[in-house]
Formats: sequence, C-alpha cells, structure tokens
Amino acid sequence: MLLRIRFHGRGGQGGKTASRILGSAAFDEGLNVQDSPVYGAERRGAPVTAFTRISDGEILERGFIFDPDVVIVMDETLLEDPTASPLSGLREGGILFVNSSRKPDELNVNLDGVEVVTLNITDMALELLGKPILSTASAAVAAKLISVVSPDAVTSAVRGELGEGSLSPEAIQMNVALAGRAFSLVPSFKLSTKENYSPGTVVPIGVISGMEGSEDILLVGNSALRKTGDWRIYAPTIDYEKCTNCMICYAYCPESAMVIETDGRPVIDMENCKGCLICYRECPTKAISITREVRAL
Amino acid sequence: MKSLSLMTGNAAAAWGARLARVDYIPAYPITPQTEIIETLSSWIRNGEMDAKLVQLESEHSMLTAAGAASSTGARVFTATSSQGLLYGMEMLYNITGWRTPLVLVNVSRALAAPITLEPDHNDVLAARDSGFLQLHAENCQEIVDMILLSYRLAEDRKVMLPAIVNLDGFYLSFTRERVALPDMKKVAEFLPEYNGSNPFRASRPVAKASSVLSSNLYSYFRYQMHISSLNALSLLGRISGEFESLFGRSYGPVEEFMTDDADYVLVMTNSFSTIGKQAVVRMRSRGVRAGLLRIRMLRPFPADAIASVLAGKRAVAVFDQNIAPGSGGIIYPEIVSSLYHLKNRPEDVFPVIGGLGGKQITMGEMEMIFEMMHKGHWSAEGPHSPLYLMRNDEIESVKKNLQIAGQVVRQ
Ligand code: SF4
Ligand code: SF4
Repeated sequence: MLLRIRFHGRGGQGGKTASRILGSAAFDEGLNVQDSPVYGAERRGAPVTAFTRISDGEILERGFIFDPDVVIVMDETLLEDPTASPLSGLREGGILFVNSSRKPDELNVNLDGVEVVTLNITDMALELLGKPILSTASAAVAAKLISVVSPDAVTSAVRGELGEGSLSPEAIQMNVALAGRAFSLVPSFKLSTKENYSPGTVVPIGVISGMEGSEDILLVGNSALRKTGDWRIYAPTIDYEKCTNCMICYAYCPESAMVIETDGRPVIDMENCKGCLICYRECPTKAISITREVRAL
Repeated sequence: MKSLSLMTGNAAAAWGARLARVDYIPAYPITPQTEIIETLSSWIRNGEMDAKLVQLESEHSMLTAAGAASSTGARVFTATSSQGLLYGMEMLYNITGWRTPLVLVNVSRALAAPITLEPDHNDVLAARDSGFLQLHAENCQEIVDMILLSYRLAEDRKVMLPAIVNLDGFYLSFTRERVALPDMKKVAEFLPEYNGSNPFRASRPVAKASSVLSSNLYSYFRYQMHISSLNALSLLGRISGEFESLFGRSYGPVEEFMTDDADYVLVMTNSFSTIGKQAVVRMRSRGVRAGLLRIRMLRPFPADAIASVLAGKRAVAVFDQNIAPGSGGIIYPEIVSSLYHLKNRPEDVFPVIGGLGGKQITMGEMEMIFEMMHKGHWSAEGPHSPLYLMRNDEIESVKKNLQIAGQVVRQ
C-alpha cells in the first residue's frame, strides 16, 4: 500500500500542519510516512501545497506528488487558481475533498471516476476555534477518507503537533473537538494503490541567447492585473456616517487596498482587500464593520 | 531496540550535532537552514544540550570563528546554505589549511541570480576543491549518521580536515521521514571526546596559521592536505564496519542499487537519487536491467569504487544536478576520468543535467534517460552534449511567464 495525499491551501490556513498531523497519525498506526511542504517566499494567502505519503513498506518517492490518490482543497477559490491547479494529476478512482458549503454536484469540477466530497470546515473552525485555521479539520477529513487512520491516532497527532507550539490546553482541546467533528462528517473509502507514473516528454530547450535568456521584466506594473482579494473570509465595510476621514485605516492597510477619494473619504478596493481586518481593528470611531463572506469576488 | 521517530532533515542535522556532543556552534541564519540553529539554540536554552551558540554578523565571520574555535581543541559544528557558503568561501580554504576538523552542514539551495529557495548543488560543489571532506545525504537517516561519521573521519590524526555534510533544501530540510536516533552511549563509544592536536592553551603558546612565503613549503603542505584527504577513503571503510556493528547501518563511499547484473547504470547524488531508484524499479519491471550508483562521498573522490561498479556496463548516464556554464555538469568529467584507464570501460557515458533550482523530475523524464542509454543514442550534438531535462509542459509555462514579462518569445 502506498497512498499519496496532496493538500492545497493558502499561507496561514495550516496546509503544512495538516500534512504533518495526518503523517503523525499514520505513523502512530505503525505505518511508514513521508510528509513535506512546498512554498516560496510569498506572504500570507499565497497558494501552499503539502504532501503526505503513507505506506506499509518503503517509500521510494520524494518531493512533488504528481498523481495523488487524494486531493484536499482547503480553499475553494484555489480550484480556479492557475498557479495552484489543485486537480492536476488526480487519478481515476481517487478522491477530491473541497472545503465548501456547496454540494459536490454544485461545484464546477468534471472529473471522471473521482469521488467528490465537500464540507464547510471554515465555519466549523470559526465556531470552535474562533479562527479560520484549517489544519486540524483538513487532516481529520483526509484521515477519514483514506480509512487507514483511526480517530484516536488523529487526536494524539493533533495534540502532538499543536503541543509543540504555544497553544493553550483549551485551544488544543477545541482542536481535538474540531478534528473529531470533521472526522465524523465525511465518508471513508477503500482506496487501492496505483502505481505512480508521472508522464513527461523531454524537449529541447531551444536556442536562446543573450538578453532573450534573461530574467528581465519588460512589462512593468502588470501585477495590478492579479487580483489578490479572492480568498477573504470576512469583508470590511465602512459606515460613512461614523467615518471622520482620519485616514488611519489608509495608513495601516498592508495591501494598499484602502484608497482615499478626492473628497477625502476612504474607499476599499474589494478586488485586492485580503480581509486581514487591520482597518477594522484600528478605526478609532468603529466605522468599519465586518461580514462573513463565503466566496469572495 | 530501535526507536523510530518522524523528523525533518533539519531536525536530523541538529540531532547529529547534539549526539556528537559539540562544544561550540557559530551561527548565521539563511533559508532553508535556519531551523537547524533554531533547534540547537532552543535545546541549549532549555538545558538539554551543553554547548555555546553564538550568532555572528556574517557567514565569513561565522566560519572564521568556527576554524579558530576548532584550533583550540573544541568540537565545532556550524551550518549554512547557498549564498552563505559562498560568502564564507575564502575562509573555507583557510580552515582546511589550519587543519581544523569541524563539521559544516550545507543545506543545498540553488545560487542567485535568479534567486530561488529550492535546491541544486552548485553551492556545495563550489567548495569542491577547498579541501573539506564532503558527504552527501539521500535521506534524513543519513544526515544524522553522516555527521557522526564525519567527526570520526575529520578528527582522525591521519586526516585532520573539516567536513561538509550536504542535504537538499526542501526535499530533505523540510521533509519528515523515519529516523532511528542512535543511542547516546553507543555514540560516545563510536565517537569519543575530541583531543585536538597542538591546541591553543594559555599555558602553552602555539603559533597557528603561520605564513609560508617559500614555494617549496607551500607545495609540501598542499600535497599533505591532498594525501590526508585521500586517507579518509580507506578510513571510511574501517569505521563504517564499526558503525554497522553498533548501529546496524553501514556506509561505503558509494551505494549500489541493483547494479550487480545491470546493463544500464544511472549515477546520482543526494536526495533526487530516491526518484532515480523508483525509476530503476520501474525499468526492471519492464525487463530492462537498470541500476543506480549513488555517490555518498564526493571528497575524497572514490574513483576506484566507482570504476569497480561501472566496469563492463553497457552504458552509464551521469545525472548532474548542477551546471558549469560553458562546460556542462561538474560530476560528469570526474566519472569519465575514473573509468578511462579500465580495459572494459563502458562504451557510452552520457551526461544529463536536471533538477536545477529543485526542478521536479517525473517518471517520464527518468525513463527517457534509460531508454536513451538502451538505444545508445544521445543528443544530436554528440555524446558529450548533456540531455537537459525540461518537459514540454514546463517549456509552455516558461513561455507564458516570458510573455507576462513582456519578452518576445520566438519559435
Ligand atoms: S481588511 Fe482592511 S486593512 Fe486589511 S486588506 Fe482589507 S482594507 Fe486593507
Ligand atoms: S480609520 Fe475609520 S474613521 Fe478613520 S478614515 Fe478609516 S474608516 Fe474613517
């Protein structure tokens, strides 16, 4: 048996920790495990991928999982993100989990022979932890889907992985409860091991030279075309009755998503606001309120 | 009873230093190495480890401090990566000349520019001719074990040279795997306290790092360094047996994976060898007699061991995860030169370059290498022109990126 699980999340959601909780739980069951994340130098919110391989024998593989048996999409907006492409390589007979309040057939994914499971784990995490941290719930979901890890092993892995940090015993207890609930709400499957085969044709790199082979960026300023506000969990709204145009929100917004109009009023660029809620916390007149967004943009 | 734990390569490196009971750790942070010194510093703070850790203001100072401390007879450990290793490069050559047997862990990360975080071996191979011994790890277990072996080799009176243990960023540094931690008592048996030669003492002054302005003296000391490095090869054979009887794992300078009856052998180093082994198993299941030779010890270079494995093979391909622009792969010519004197040398030795900046390698790419060996047919530019691994889907994404950057993409 060799199972390959690929987690897709955003920086700050807990994708790496999810892969470790699942790994530790499987290891606790006496299985061989390899887990690892990939990420760049990006900030919070950038796509993060993490992997867990679980086997009852040697693991003669390493690095990126090209053809996963299970894909866990921790953020629904990643389904359409070309840099994440979470569905790539998902094999027939595999399982796709999406953190969503929608039903599987309401998602716009067409994959032959793939079981699709959905559950809104963000709201569960908000209810139990007060924060949209999804590591525990994602790991528990993955553990249940693959059938080889017991809920007890998940619980002890949650304690083990989160106990190394600075979490209070109460917070760890809430994470254990969250894992238990997520585990109970998804079905389990019997997965058969498939031989790993990632295709690829080597092609000539072509004759390039001089400045054509350089990393120069000639079209500057086009990063504005990339909208970074598609994965908010809460959206801020300004109540102009209370706003005094003090510009404190403008000074604090780390994304430059707060724009000052010619009349001095602050306006939020919702295409790029990441929902960090710093403006909400800093506004001295409490003119900013927040609402839960299920799907931003 | 072996107790297994799951740990990252960085944690394994920290454990290696802890088990070796090092005295002094000069440090400077750099991704993807920083976790090693963070782990060590937290152990020292909690009283779990008895050592001094000092953060210096650069890698150059860090390596100077490392060499100086080692010359007092302290057991010294340090770690860096990529640009950090290059920034300290001048001191690498000094440390070897001082004959200070410290251990440096390098977490491989490709060199800038362009800047990246993922691994290839241009960083560690830039230190190839510095006189450091070099051991390159495939997995997290080897990292712990190689650090212990390195101190034994480095501190031997016949060697007295520092050692680099190399591990790949991400593919090992942040990857958790099963590791059997050696028992501390047995480690003390394998690696006793270090007794430095002619250490600095307040009561007994010694002049070290003396200047040598005469060419005959200079030549003499450089030859000594070379011969001492070669001594580490035969020594590894001896202590690896000792290591095996204590810990159950043995380490020669090379690892032979299904090479015995193989016709086609791929030569690799470091963590991507795991992917190479997977390809070998796959080729075997398709009836191709494939094998893999992994070089564990890169300095001293185990030319005889390599020649004895590759003698009589039909074809060999050398996978270089590095590039020397204007020449090709760095390890390829070293393999070729170790085979040249053989009567029954392999007819074809093909160069492959791949995995630069951590570029992922698919099974399709690996199979292509074996198929080309099988056909005895290499690139149109001739047998010495490397096969540059780059897939069609990757070229497409490069083109897309160049277009976004406003560059004209031809063809
Ligand atoms: S929540 Fe407020 S501070 Fe944060 S990105 Fe949006 S506008 Fe800026
Ligand atoms: S901080 Fe509050 S009061 Fe000040 S400009 Fe922003 S929304 Fe208005």
